[in-house]
Formats: sequence, structure tokens, C-alpha cells
Amino acid sequence: MNAMMQIRPILAALKSHRAAVTLLVLEIALTMAVLGNLVFIVHDGIRRAHTPTGVAENQIGFIQSIGVIGAKSASTTAGDLAALRGVPGVEAAAYGGPPLWYVERDAAFAHVDRLHRVARIYEFEGSRGLSKTLGLHVVEGRDFERSEVPVMGQMDEHTQFPVLVTRALAQRLFPDGSALGQLFYDGNATLRVIGVVDHLRGRITGHEDDDYSAVIEYGVGKGHMGGGFIIRSRPEQLDSVLKQAAIALSKADPQHVQNRVMTFEQMREHYFRSDLAVGRMLLAIVLILMIVTTLGVTGLANFWVQQRRRQIGMRRALGATRGDILRYFQLENFLIVSGGVLLGAICTYGLNLFLMHRFELPQLPPIYLLVGAAVLWGLSQLAVFGPALRASRVPPVVATRSA
Amino acid sequence: MLGYYMDLALRSLRRHKMLAALMVLAIALGIGASITMLTVLHNLSGDPLPQRSGVLFHPQVDPRPKDLPGADAEPPDDLTWVDAQNLFHLPGSYPRVLMDGNWLPARAMRGDSLLAMQSDRATTADFFSMFDVPFVYGSGWTAQDDAQHARVVVLSSALNDKLFGGADSVGKQMVIATKTFRVIGVIGPWHPQPRFYDINNDDGPYGKAADMYLPFFTWIDLPQDYGYGSMRCWGNDANAGQHNPKAPQCTWAQLWVQLDSPAQVASYRSALRQYSLQQHELGRFERAPNVRLRGLLDWLDYKRVIPVMVRMQTWIAFGVFLICMLNTIGLMVAKFLRKSGEIGVRRALGASRRDVFAQCLVEAGVIGVAGGLCGLPLAWLGLWMVRQQPVSFAASAHLDLSMLGAALALSLVAALLAGVWPSLRAARVTPALQVKSL
Repeated sequence: MNAMMQIRPILAALKSHRAAVTLLVLEIALTMAVLGNLVFIVHDGIRRAHTPTGVAENQIGFIQSIGVIGAKSASTTAGDLAALRGVPGVEAAAYGGPPLWYVERDAAFAHVDRLHRVARIYEFEGSRGLSKTLGLHVVEGRDFERSEVPVMGQMDEHTQFPVLVTRALAQRLFPDGSALGQLFYDGNATLRVIGVVDHLRGRITGHEDDDYSAVIEYGVGKGHMGGGFIIRSRPEQLDSVLKQAAIALSKADPQHVQNRVMTFEQMREHYFRSDLAVGRMLLAIVLILMIVTTLGVTGLANFWVQQRRRQIGMRRALGATRGDILRYFQLENFLIVSGGVLLGAICTYGLNLFLMHRFELPQLPPIYLLVGAAVLWGLSQLAVFGPALRASRVPPVVATRSA
Repeated sequence: MLGYYMDLALRSLRRHKMLAALMVLAIALGIGASITMLTVLHNLSGDPLPQRSGVLFHPQVDPRPKDLPGADAEPPDDLTWVDAQNLFHLPGSYPRVLMDGNWLPARAMRGDSLLAMQSDRATTADFFSMFDVPFVYGSGWTAQDDAQHARVVVLSSALNDKLFGGADSVGKQMVIATKTFRVIGVIGPWHPQPRFYDINNDDGPYGKAADMYLPFFTWIDLPQDYGYGSMRCWGNDANAGQHNPKAPQCTWAQLWVQLDSPAQVASYRSALRQYSLQQHELGRFERAPNVRLRGLLDWLDYKRVIPVMVRMQTWIAFGVFLICMLNTIGLMVAKFLRKSGEIGVRRALGASRRDVFAQCLVEAGVIGVAGGLCGLPLAWLGLWMVRQQPVSFAASAHLDLSMLGAALALSLVAALLAGVWPSLRAARVTPALQVKSL
């Protein structure tokens, strides 16, 4: 007996259970829609949590050291940096903020009249050596040279700042050619592109403009600033070196208040922790849904088997094997779930459209439909197996008894 | 009759334990998921100051240039330095409070007390009375202190514990941003959620209340450059206010007024319009008067403070609930039709369709209440999970009595609704056919 020949009687039998079949199809469809979108949201979150920022993440540590305004102090930022560089294990140190911290955001203009903003960019400003400390990859042009960097206290409104920009920003600002040597403008300064780095993301939101960044270096001169200090070390000794560096910095600059000391990886964890927590919640809901749907399928299948004991007995008496009965219920289930999955594909896209519209979610890739369908097929086959097995054990003699 | 049906329902459930358990579990899971999210939503959208929210208002004016690319019709949330002063000194006897918040380095006077950054709220005398802030020790300051830029400070209990070991610290001295301040009060726990009076600050609308309260005009004169709270500037230089709160294109100060009657609201609104008109005529405001005077709850509504994720999770929870209901309907059809024989006998013995319908519905109700009862521990577990989320609003996720009631009511109503159609079908069972096959 081939499968096609089995399908027709199944369909005929399902017609007499129209209502229950409709319910099951609806339930499968809705489950698929919610499940598909939930898994998508979770996966999107995970993908974001693993997006690299473009810096040498496992090698850098951060010390927030806040200067107290009005306090008398003999320290200078240059002295602070020298103290940091003097700590054994510190390979580089700079004044400035790392990604995912409070990076300044400014407008970028292609023209000096500043009438049309081209993009909003992240400006990583810091002392000489910032780009080396962050471990950026210059893919075009060159890194900063010591002599060209302007020095604090010797700048005015005509100062041109040499900058590194990300590839994404270079393409946004200068779509028609190389960005090298070109000028652009932020809110109050003129910037000249000397090099292009592959990536540097100020924040990770999933938007394209995360990667619109510029790096500006300056000499700290005799200035004394508070804020962020970044050190770079070998990954395996970063923890201990960072602690030593924080101690050295507070010795060099006792007037500063150290508010935060953490490795970049701790910072990243902190940045994404609420996303990950939400992901866990959603996964719990996914699990609940899968349980509920499986239970529902089992319950209905049990009922059907119960109701059809006599018919099953008759089929067995007429020569159907146990395997035939088992396959009958499995195939029946497969057909119902297939109906649900077809409707579910439409619902999934519908729900995705709604979420895109309302919560700015990205579009769901079609692969989710396939995976969702496969999961539902598998789950409901699992759910129906028990009742089907029971059906196959109905002895032929049942046919001869009245119900 | 109801008691008899109840008895029948329990009997029937006991007979088909498996099916009954499945139905109860489906409802319980659905109730658990949706009550969890509803509770979070309920807590987040609650009234932060129930006794006062009716009389607190948030004035806004529009000092932006006429043609600002990308500007919408709504005036900025906060005030510029100039408007903050002008509106604060607007004539009239309404209680009013001007404020902002940031972090300042502070320590106790003792030699061993280390400087640390503490959150502060720079505000004016009426803050404590207008917002019903409870005092443990001492009291707030006076309007005269405001005018004289007095160096006085009110601490949170948490900071008082840290700096003074929880003792009555009134009269003690401490250092804030290199200046010496005198502690004049310590407040009890006070964390209105959402933190309605300043929802644009770094830590968002569910951020904590501050640890130090100091007079606004004293604060603005302090030697400081630690950021100025919810600083927002229009024009090309987005960072114009970073080191200069007095930059004319930057808004950051919040003003709240207390208006006790509709007449006062109307008169304040016209005063606000009058002020805008006057500034417009002076040439300071380029736009025609564009003012708002929202009440506290309107303000929260307008700012849509509820996090996107929470709103989305609420929708999802309802999707889950719907699926659980569909599931229950399917199982109920199976359950009721399974006892077709029994129903046939009842019908043959004279029960009307309505009787059968009522009997089935009572059974559905029993299932619903059982599902609700089992759902409560699940909701409790769900909320425990929410509280583990490291987000600022998580701590407020607790089941209260009204949500417990809502959970039970929701499960009962849902089960009854789910039971209608299966019961109708059961009531349509033809007695003759069933009795014959017995």
C-alpha cells in the first residue's frame, strides 16, 4: 500500500472531525508563529551580543578616574599616563574612552557650511596612542604620527585634526572615491582623514550607524583631565595588570576618584546583560509553548484513538497489521500538522510584520519557517506516538463486541 | 443544582485524570505566563505618587529656532537655563520645584572618609513637601536657603548609613565637590517608579532616586564639570552643553508645579502662554507660543516610559495564552464528547439541553479555577525570573493582591469562554443514538 492510497481515507475520516481538526490546525499555526518570532528575537540578541567592536577586546582594560574640579593637584595627565606605562605588563596606555562606554556622538558634515548632516558619528577622542592602545586595524592609509597630532592648549578653531575613520563611515561620507586626505566636519572642528580602520563600533544596537566612528588623537600637553584611561596588556595577565595599573594611577593622581575599573570583557558583559536576561525569559516561553502544544496533540490523539476503537478493531480483523494502524495515526497527524504549518508560515510572517512595524524588529529570514515547520512536525510525531502505539495494540476481537 | 453539578464535575475530572491534568496544566501555563507579564506591565505603568499625581504638572515651553531640521511639533521635555530661572520666578503662589541631577564627588568630614561619586538631585525647597518625601531625621530647606545659595544637604538613608553609620547626622558636615555642606535632613526610603520627575537621565525612567539633595542654585555654582543630567542641545554642536549648562541652545532643567484646582491650571497655562509670547516679542523665542502643561500621568503616557521589551513580552504572553486556550478548547471537546453516553442517559431521563450545557460549563469553570490556582505558583516563579533580570525596573516585579485576584478571575473567565463551544456540542448529543449503543 503506498502512502497516497492511505491519505484518501484519512482525509475522509478527518472530515467528520472538522471542528477538532480546525482547532488543532489553528493551534499549530499560532504556535509556529509565536515560536518562530521568539526564536528569531533571541537569536538576533545573541548575534548582537557577539558582534565585535573592532578593538582588541581581550587585551584592554578600563579605569574611570574622575578629576575633582577645584581640588589643588600637582598631577598631570601626562604624568598619569607615564605611571600607567610604568606598570609591568602594560603594553600601551592612553587617555580616552573605549567602545560601549559613554562615547561622544556628534554630527558629521561633508561641507563646511554644516547645513546637511551626512551621519551621526561616534567620536573616540583621546591622547596620543589611543588607536594603538585600542588595537585598531588600519586597512588603508596610515596610523597617527607623533608630530602631526595637535596639542591641548595650542588648538584654535582653524586646527585641522587628523582622524582615522571606519570603512563604513568612509563609504558613507565619500561614496565616490577614496576617503584618504579628504576633509569633513563635525559640530565644531575640521577633520582630515589619514587612515581607514576596518571596524570600530561605538555601541551595538544592530543599526548600520553603530560602525560610523572616527578616532581623534591629541597631545595632552600640561593638561590635567579626568575621565577614562585605557590600558592594553596580554590577555592572560590582563586582570592582574589592570589592578596594578589602577593602584599606580591612584598613587600618581591621589586627587582623582576612581569610579570603575574593569576589563573590556566585563564591560561587554555588563552592556548586554539585560538583553541576555530577556533572552532567557523568552526561551522559557518557547519551552512552555512547546510543552503545551505537545500535550494538546497527545490529548486529542488519545481521544481519537478511544473513539475509534471499534473501527480499529474492524481494520485489524480485516487484515491490517499493527504497523498499518500505527502508520495511519502518524500519517493523520502529519497531515493535520502540515495544514497547521502552511497556515503557520503565513501567521509567522504576519506577526513578524506586526513586530517590525511596532517594535522595529528586523525581517525574519525564511530559514526560520523551515526550522519551525521541522520542529513542529517532529514534536507532534513524538506526541502522537504514544496514542498511536496504543491504537495498534487494540485487538481485532474488539470489532465483534458492541462498543 | 450548582452544587450537584460541581460534584459531577469533580467526579468526571477524577475519572479521566490524565485529560483533566492536561487541561489544568495548559490553563496554568497560559495563566502563569500572562500574569507574569501583566504584573510587570501593571507595576511599570502604575501611578508613582498616587496621593499627589492629580495636582502635579509639568510645564514645557519651546525656545527652539524656527527652522530646525528634523524638529517635531512637541516642545523640548526640559528647560534651558534662562527659561528655568524665569519660569521658576514666575509670579503666583503655586508650590513649584526646579531641578536636575548628576553625580558629584562627596565624602564625610572625617579623615578616613574617601571621596566617592554620589548621585544627587539639585532642587528647590518645595521638593520634599510637593512629592511627599518622608523624613527620618531633620527636614528640608527653606525658600530663603534657596535664595541665599545655602550649603545644606539632605541625604538618603542609604548614604547616611554609608557616611555616618545610620546615626542622626543632622548638623554634621561633609564635603561635596570640594565645598563644605551641612547635613540638615535624612529621608526614608523613597523611590517613586517610574521616576516621573526626571525620566531622560542616563539611567532611564526607572532609575533610582538620588542619594544627596542640595539647593539648586547652590549646586549650579559649585566647581563642577561632571555632566549635567539630561542635557540635550539642538543645532550642529550636540555637545555644546557638555561643559556649559548655561548654553542657550541646551535644555536640561525640570520644572514641576502644584496646581490644586482647574482654575489654577487654566491660569497657569495662560501665564505660560503669556511668558512665551513675551519671549517671542523680545525675539528670544523664534516660534509662536508652543506650550504644554501635562499632568503627571499624562506626562508618563506621553513619554511612553514602558520599555519596548516589556510591551513586546506582554503581547507575546497573550499569544501564549491564546494558544493555551485553543488547546483547552480542543481537550474539552474531547472530554465532553467522551462522555456522550452519560449525557445521552441524562437527556433520556428528562434533562434539557440547557441542563447539559450548564453541567458542562460548570465543569469547565472548575477546570479554569484549578488551572488558575496552579498558575499562581508559575506566575510567582515567572516573576522571580523577571527579578533576576539586571534591569532597573525588575525589582518592582511582585505579585500583589489585585493581581492574584486578576489571575483567578482571568482563568475562570477564560475557561468558561473556552467551555462554551464544547458544551454546546455536548448539549447537541442525540439521546436516542447514545442510549441505543449502550
